[in-house]
Amino acid sequence: MTTTRWTTVYLVIAAIMLTILAALYAAVPVKDGVKDWTAQLIPGFWMAWTFPVALFFWCIASLLILMTLLAIRFPETPRVGLLRIETTRGDRLFITLLGSAFIHLGWLYFAGPDALWGAMILSLAYAFAVFRWV
Amino acid sequence: MEKTQNNKAWFLVLPVLVLVAFSAILPLMTVVNYAFNDTFGNNQFFWAGIEWFDDMIHSERLRAALGRQVIFSLIILAIEVPLGIFIALNMPKKGFWASFCLVLMALPLLIPFNVVGTIWQIFGRVDIGLLGHTLAAMGVDYNYTNDPLDAWITVIVMDVWHWTSLVALLAYAGLQSIPQAYYQAARIDQATRWSVFRYIELPKMKGVLLIAVLLRFMDSFMIYTEPFVVTGGGPGNSTTFLSIDLAKMATGQFDLGPAAAFSIMYFLVILLISWVFYTVMTNLDRAESGEENR
Repeated sequence: MTTTRWTTVYLVIAAIMLTILAALYAAVPVKDGVKDWTAQLIPGFWMAWTFPVALFFWCIASLLILMTLLAIRFPETPRVGLLRIETTRGDRLFITLLGSAFIHLGWLYFAGPDALWGAMILSLAYAFAVFRWV
Repeated sequence: MEKTQNNKAWFLVLPVLVLVAFSAILPLMTVVNYAFNDTFGNNQFFWAGIEWFDDMIHSERLRAALGRQVIFSLIILAIEVPLGIFIALNMPKKGFWASFCLVLMALPLLIPFNVVGTIWQIFGRVDIGLLGHTLAAMGVDYNYTNDPLDAWITVIVMDVWHWTSLVALLAYAGLQSIPQAYYQAARIDQATRWSVFRYIELPKMKGVLLIAVLLRFMDSFMIYTEPFVVTGGGPGNSTTFLSIDLAKMATGQFDLGPAAAFSIMYFLVILLISWVFYTVMTNLDRAESGEENR
């Protein structure tokens, strides 16, 4: 595929994902003039989905779609890094996500639930390290 | 000839993807959703944030169950793997008795889990069970419903009875694939039985043994039915392993939120262990094929 066609593909998929995000944002109920972030997106609907959970899955889905597109355009070549194992980009994403989950659980265990932003920052640093060196 | 890349073929897996979404991805998402909400059933939910995760990760009960689970898995691995190898080494290599042994070894694997549980539940009972009654008649104070140690021994022996054959069969398959030339060379060098095992049989069995360890570890880490039928997690909490505790929490007490948080953490641990095993296995294969190419 040519570069122009790739740009179109990127733009179309980005538009779809952003529309979904906007729809989720718009669905957050307003209570007393402020957005009630943890209220049900669709009142009375099965399983009571809320914005934070939806955002979490939106992020995962976006990451997967992005990595798939990258894998089609620039085929993955395995390399051996710090862990002495062969990893592709997808492997590194998996290591990143799994590690981040444990970083958050560890933070919750040692530092408590108050400043989970710390775990987020730590995870981003970890993600950078994994993609750079593993 | 250069292969043509056609990524359009990926669209052919879409039906499977839809099925998997319906049977695995959506239920998993539901569990995640449960973990962040409080519910009393009736499709009524209240946002709980990370409260359940906070509760569960500091819960003594979960830590105790995890401890018991790890000890259980390690014990059965420590028994089943060496025992399985020992049996495989001593099984007849060909002829009628080889087939006979194979069928005999496969029998316990074919019995459904809850039947295995029931067999041992009755077998060990002091009043009517053959084992329990015999032990009592011999003056041994054995009662798996009262004594935690007896309960542990029963559950472990049951698991060994049920699953050692799997390790033995895998090890046997690994042994069968070793060419006779290796043994002949060892005989010429006057190698001892131990060196034959250490330098020929064990390295050749490494791959299948890793699979056996992985399978046995994962299975024992998720064990539910057999101890549930035999001891019900008792006496007290002494044989309450992770999944028994999880089921108690989710369906017994209907604490769906904490149980969901619990199962996500459980899932993450299993995912991590599986990934480590998988990585080790694939890298081992690669190292082996690399050696042969050299």
